[in-house]
Parts: sequence; C-alpha cells; structure tokens
Amino acid sequence: MNTILVVAEHRRGEVRPVTLELITAAQQLKTAADDRVLLAIMGQEAESLASQLQWAGVDEIIACKTRSAEFEPELAEQAVSALIVSRKPIAVLLPHSVDSLGYATAVAVKGGYGYATDVFKLAYDGGALVATRGGYNQKVNVEVDFPGHACAVMTIRGGAFKPVETAAAPLLTVDDRSDLSARSRPLEFIEQGGGGDIDITTVEFIMSIGRGIGEEANVEDFRELADNIDATLCCSRPIADAGWLPKSRQVGQSGKVVSACKLYVAMGISGSIQHMAGMKHVSTIVAVNTDPGASIFTIAKYGIVADIFEIQDELQAQLA
Amino acid sequence: MSPQRFLSKSESQVPMTAQALVAHVLESGDFYAAVAVHGIADARQRQRLEERLFGSRRDVLMLARWEHTPANVLDALSRLEHMPLARRVVKHRNTGGSTLKHQFSQSDDPALTGLLALHANTPAPLLLQIAMGDHDQVVLKGLARNPSAQPEVLRLLAQRFPRRFDKEIASHTAVPADLLGTLYHRGDKFVRAAVLAHKQVPEAVLLQAAKSTDTLILRALVKHPLLPAALVDALSQHKDNAIRAALATRTDLPVHLSARLALDESDSVRRAVACRADLSPALMQMLAEDHDPWVRQWLGRNAMAGKHVLQKLALDIHEDVRRAVARNPNCPITLLEKLASDHRSWVRAAVAYQPNVTSCLMASLARDSAVDVLSGVAANPHTAPALLKRLVFSEELDVRRGVILNPAAGPDILLPLLQDPYYLHRVMLASGPKLSDQDKWQLRDDPDPRVRFALFQWLAARALRPVADRYFYRRKA
Ligand SMILES: Cc1cc2nc3c(=O)[nH]c(=O)nc-3n(C[C@H](O)[C@H](O)[C@H](O)COP(=O)(O)OP(=O)(O)OC[C@H]3O[C@@H](n4cnc5c(N)ncnc54)[C@H](O)[C@@H]3O)c2cc1C
Repeated sequence: MNTILVVAEHRRGEVRPVTLELITAAQQLKTAADDRVLLAIMGQEAESLASQLQWAGVDEIIACKTRSAEFEPELAEQAVSALIVSRKPIAVLLPHSVDSLGYATAVAVKGGYGYATDVFKLAYDGGALVATRGGYNQKVNVEVDFPGHACAVMTIRGGAFKPVETAAAPLLTVDDRSDLSARSRPLEFIEQGGGGDIDITTVEFIMSIGRGIGEEANVEDFRELADNIDATLCCSRPIADAGWLPKSRQVGQSGKVVSACKLYVAMGISGSIQHMAGMKHVSTIVAVNTDPGASIFTIAKYGIVADIFEIQDELQAQLA
Repeated sequence: MSPQRFLSKSESQVPMTAQALVAHVLESGDFYAAVAVHGIADARQRQRLEERLFGSRRDVLMLARWEHTPANVLDALSRLEHMPLARRVVKHRNTGGSTLKHQFSQSDDPALTGLLALHANTPAPLLLQIAMGDHDQVVLKGLARNPSAQPEVLRLLAQRFPRRFDKEIASHTAVPADLLGTLYHRGDKFVRAAVLAHKQVPEAVLLQAAKSTDTLILRALVKHPLLPAALVDALSQHKDNAIRAALATRTDLPVHLSARLALDESDSVRRAVACRADLSPALMQMLAEDHDPWVRQWLGRNAMAGKHVLQKLALDIHEDVRRAVARNPNCPITLLEKLASDHRSWVRAAVAYQPNVTSCLMASLARDSAVDVLSGVAANPHTAPALLKRLVFSEELDVRRGVILNPAAGPDILLPLLQDPYYLHRVMLASGPKLSDQDKWQLRDDPDPRVRFALFQWLAARALRPVADRYFYRRKA
C-alpha cells in the first residue's frame, strides 16, 4: 500500500483552487486499490477549513492545527516534515506557489527526500516514480526520477491537472501541532495588487498589450475589446510604468505569473525574457506583432503578423 | 551594491578618449565591458578584446544569442573559423547588413536564406536576389512580409507568383500604388479589403469599390479619407453596425449625421460618436446618460466635453468612467480635487498622472498608500522636487522607477538611485542622459554585469561623439 500526501493551500479562509488540481494529480499516482491519498491542511482554523475539502479521491483529511491562522513557512515546514515521518508517503504534492517555495526545499533537503519543482506530469516507469518538468527555459521536457529516495517532494504546476469535481465525505482526523513555534510571526495581511483590482493570477483568458499600443488613448480601445470578449486586460512593463494600466496588471518577472491562464493573446508585445517569464507556460498563446522576427512568436501557438489596430478593428467590427 | 574602494585619482576619473576607455576595460578584464567597447577599439586593442571575448566556446555561444550583442561583435563572431555560427548570427536582430551579406556569400545552407528573407537588416540587393531566384514558398512569404522589402521585391513576387502572396503584398507599406490596382482587380474580397485599407490606394480603385455591396469591402472603404461624399449619407443607414461605427469616427461627417448616429441602437456606434469633437452640448448631455458605460467612458475622455458633462460623469457608478474624467486633459481642477479622494486607487492614480494638478493636491496624493498613485506622483513632471527627493527612498521599487522615468527629475534627485538595490534602476540611470559621466563612473565595478554593460555602452557611444560635444556635455552635467 502506497500513501500519497497532498498539502492544501488556503488564504484568508478560502482553500485555493489549485488544491483541487493536486487531488487529481494524486489520484493518478494511485496504482493499487488500497493506495491512500491523504490531504493535509494546516493552520489555526484547519478543522473548519476541512469542510471545503470534501472531495472524491481523498481517503483522509488531516486537519493539522498550528498556531498561525495564515501560512507561516517555518510552521509548514515542521508540520509537513512530521507528517512525512509519521505517515511515510511515497510522494508529497504541493502547489508550485510562493507559499510552497518558502518551505518545500527545506523539507526535502532536511529529510533527504527526492525533490522536483514545477512538475506538470506524473507517471510510473516500471514502478519508479517519474516527474516531468520543463528545462532550458521550457524548451525541453525533463523527466526526473528519485532513485534511492523513499519519498519525493514535488511542487505541481497550476493548471497542469484538471481540478477534481466530484464531492465526497472523506474521513477527518485532527493532528494537533500547536506546540510548533516559528521565529517569525505575521503582523498584517497586505493584499497584493492594485487596491481591489482583479487578481490576474486566477483568470483564464487574458489579452495583454505591449508597447505596440503606441499611446494611452489606444489602451482604451483594447480595454473595450477585452471587455467585449470577456478577457482580462493585462500588459507588459512599459505600459504599467507609464501608468496606463495598474501595476497589478503587469505580467512577467517583476509583475505576475498568470498561472491559471489558458488563453493569452499578446498584442504588440515583443516577447522579452522578462515578460515571457510570466506567461510562457500558457497552453494557448496567440501573438499579434508586425515584426515577423519578434521573439513572442517562438512560444506562440498561433502567430499573426499584423498590425494590432487592424486586428482590434476587425474584431470590434465582428462584435458590433 | 558596488564594493566601496579607495580610488586613486586616475582611477576615479572617467577615461575621456576611446583608447583610454578600452585600455581601462582591457586592464579590468571585464567581459561585459569588453562587449560594450569592442566597436570603438583600434585594431590592436580589438584583437586583445576578442581574445577575452572569444576565449571559450560557452562565451561565444552566449554572445551569439545575447539580445544586447552589438553588430560589430556579431560580425567578428561570424568570422570565427573554428565555430560555425552562421544561423545564430543571421537570426540575431542586431546583425548588420554587411555581415548578413557575407554570410549569404559563404553558405549554401537553405535555412539561412529563410532567415535572411525575414531579417530587417538584409541589404536590398540580397532581398531582390532571393525574390528572383528562390522557390521556397515559406521563404518567399516571409520576404513578402519583411518590412524592409522594397517595391521592386514586391513587384517581382507579384509577377512570379500571381495571387500566391497577394494578401501579404497588399498589406505591405512599400507596395506601389499601381500594383495595388492590379492586386485589387485580380484579388478576392480579402485581398481587396487589404488594398482598400492601404494608404496608397489609387482613387480609381476607391471609386470602383464604392459600387460594391460586400460588407467586408464597405467596412474597409468607409475608413478611407477619400470616401466619396455621396456614399457617406448612404452608409449611415447601412444595416452593418461596424460600417456605421466606422462612419461615426470620420471627421468629415456632417453634423446632422452624427446627431442621428448618437441615437443609434448599436452600442458600438454610440461609443464612436461619444469620441467626436463636434458634439453639441445637448448631444453630450444625452450621451452622458447612456446606459452603456463605455459610451460614458469615451465621453469622459473627450477633450471637448464641457464642465457640466464632466461633473456628472465624475459621479458615475463605474470606476472606469470616473477614471476617464480624471484622465481628460481639460478636467477642471475642482473635479480633480474631488477625484483625488475617490475610494478606488485607479481613479486617484489617474489624477496623479495629470499635468495640471496643483502642488497642494500633489502633496496630498503623495501621502497615498497605493503604489499606482505614488508611481503617478513620482513620474509627474509637475511634482515638486522636494517630494521627488522623498520618493526616491520609497520602499516600492515601482515608485522609485517612477522618479527615474520623470522627465523633470534632475541629477540632484536621481543621484541616490545610483545605489538602488534593483539593478534595472541602475541600468536605466547608466544608459540615460541625466547623470554626468563622472557620477555614473561609480558603477564601473557594479556587481551586476548588465549595469556595467550599460555604463560602458554609454561611454563608448560618447567616445564617438566629437570632442567639443563631449566637453559641452561634461560641463552641462
Ligand atoms: C529586471 C527586469 C525586469 C523586467 N520585468 C518585466 C516584467 O515583469 N514584465 C515585462 O513585460 N517586462 C519586464 N521587463 C522589461 C522587458 O525587458 C521589456 O523591456 C518589455 O517586456 C518590453 O515590453 P514590450 O514587449 O511591450 O515592448 P517592446 O519590446 O518595445 O515591443 C513592442 C512590440 O510591439 C510591436 N509592434 C509595434 N507596433 C505594432 C503594431 N501596430 N501592431 C503590432 N505590433 C506592433 C513591435 O514589433 C515590438 O515587437 C523587465 C526588464 C528587466 C531588466
């Protein structure tokens, strides 16, 4: 019997949707009928948050009570390490998120476990667990196995697995870890982003504009278009720097990674490394650029060598 | 930040000549500085620089694909005998025409021709040669889209392969007017629409298109400045919303027609009307009540919108409408004052970017906590220098970048940012004209290679300027 441990993520009393994707990933790792998927949730309110985790495919929910209401990396590290020791999972699945990156490496290194980040595929090869992740700037897929490790800690890329949809009532156990202490304590929750603006990391359809837009008045044309097609309007850095769109709409290295996005329409964006860092993982990228040599075309599924204003005009005409 | 060192007098002075600058780089052994000064080195210095730059295979490969590698270094790379780099060099957007020509003459790699056909710097005769001799459809399609392709290339392609690349050719800025006529006559409706959208379209073609009943053709035609007047009236009643919306953007639209279109049932038509500069106060009042928020938004941005209309829109329930008012170049200061305390930060940010905000209002916006608002204050050329001096020490890097982007921020304000922990800010200062070379010189040992590259690239460009120019520049700085 193998055990797979999934660690749920929550923020401000809400379980984050990526947790449901991890449950699907865990189900794929089950090979025998008696393999078990454990779903751990940590925090002061772990028990009440567990009510949001009633999903099929989970055999047991572990409400791991700690002293902090919000995520605290040191507590998470200690609690997950203790769970690995007591439950002996072959795999620990965490979201590939800022929270996980704050403690997953420490768990793996201190426990001497296998470790892979940003995994988007899981499989067995003759009984050995194999995780697939991108390499060389996502140009190649790298298969990672974990020889000699009884357990592998993996952070799973958002959007790589379908979220579980069927409800169920798994067994709930409470694991009191309120004795754990951390050297730091959260003082205040500061909402990231532009004062209540939409969180672009959670949206699925994005239209993004870059310097090709020319001037501020044109931004409004694209906002109108985005509105008409139900897309969220985002941008490259020069647009946010000019104050034409809020900073919270900037995609890229110093902006945000649009992890939930499935369709990304890049309008007049050249495709700098820094911009692509925030969106190159998106499965369907449509790029519109007048320069056929623009780097954005190297990652686009559909490339349109054209003037963005013509495309905008045409789309608006079709929608009129 | 750069390690603090005790500087000898000679070290602390910026080298004034190209030769001295390169000598400094050779002595320091800095790889990135060497890339930056390669173009100004004399033959002997250049050889030594190349020994440093091309010493390892890894460095050579890195240089061939690094986005900042300058044309002269790419040229030197293309001539390295022991490493075939032709494809990488030809793919690089900085590669110059003579290097591309050299590569073409040296190689019979068909993939290279495809890359040359796309490259913006490929010399005209080479593009013509490809247009004349090549048969590969992908290569030729790339050529037809190359913005540097000249009229002869397009003409040749249209002749050699009638209809095959007509859509690409019709959309090319360099296509001659007579060829547009040919393309129109033999083209399908998509080619025809592309011809009509072209600035050079001959009047005869326009007149012919005016007889068309095809919606696609009419949509293209309606935007043309030379649209026959008789058609304007007819098209204002056309059943296609896009045609009426495009008509509503025309500056030559008679007033009675814009009044009619302001009542149009299609939102997109009324949105276009709301942007017009010739709306009567009554029409504006009416549009300010429109149920579609986008109509109100466009009206809010309309520079001709009167005070009363703006006052009404400034109270709109939609934040984007209020923001539109705050971005209106003629928004009265009293309204800006109200909008500066809007509960949505994106509206307050719009006020912070307004050029006609009073210093008192700016000071109150500078106390805001939202990064978009503070970035606006930081980037606004009318912000008082004392405020900018404070914002330079903001914890938000976007706000500090706002100060760097502020056209009015002078050296006394920007100097502390040479120590900014974010390397991009140091790059921006090193490659911008606001600080003196002497001030920037402290970045020569910056821990980040991109900062050093930016600095030496700036100094190398300066070394190429005439001496009198440089002297003036130093004094000014
Ligand atoms: C440390 C650091 C962090 C950074 N972080 C980010 C980040 O988080 N996000 C980010 O985006 N950038 C970031 N940048 C900036 C990045 O390097 C680029 O400068 C930026 O992404 C370029 O934005 P762009 O593509 O909009 O503009 P450009 O590179 O200028 O590209 C504009 C494109 O529009 C095309 N174009 C022009 N007119 C038209 C038209 N009418 N129709 C169609 N196409 C047209 C042009 O061909 C061109 O390809 C960062 C840079 C650094 C150094």
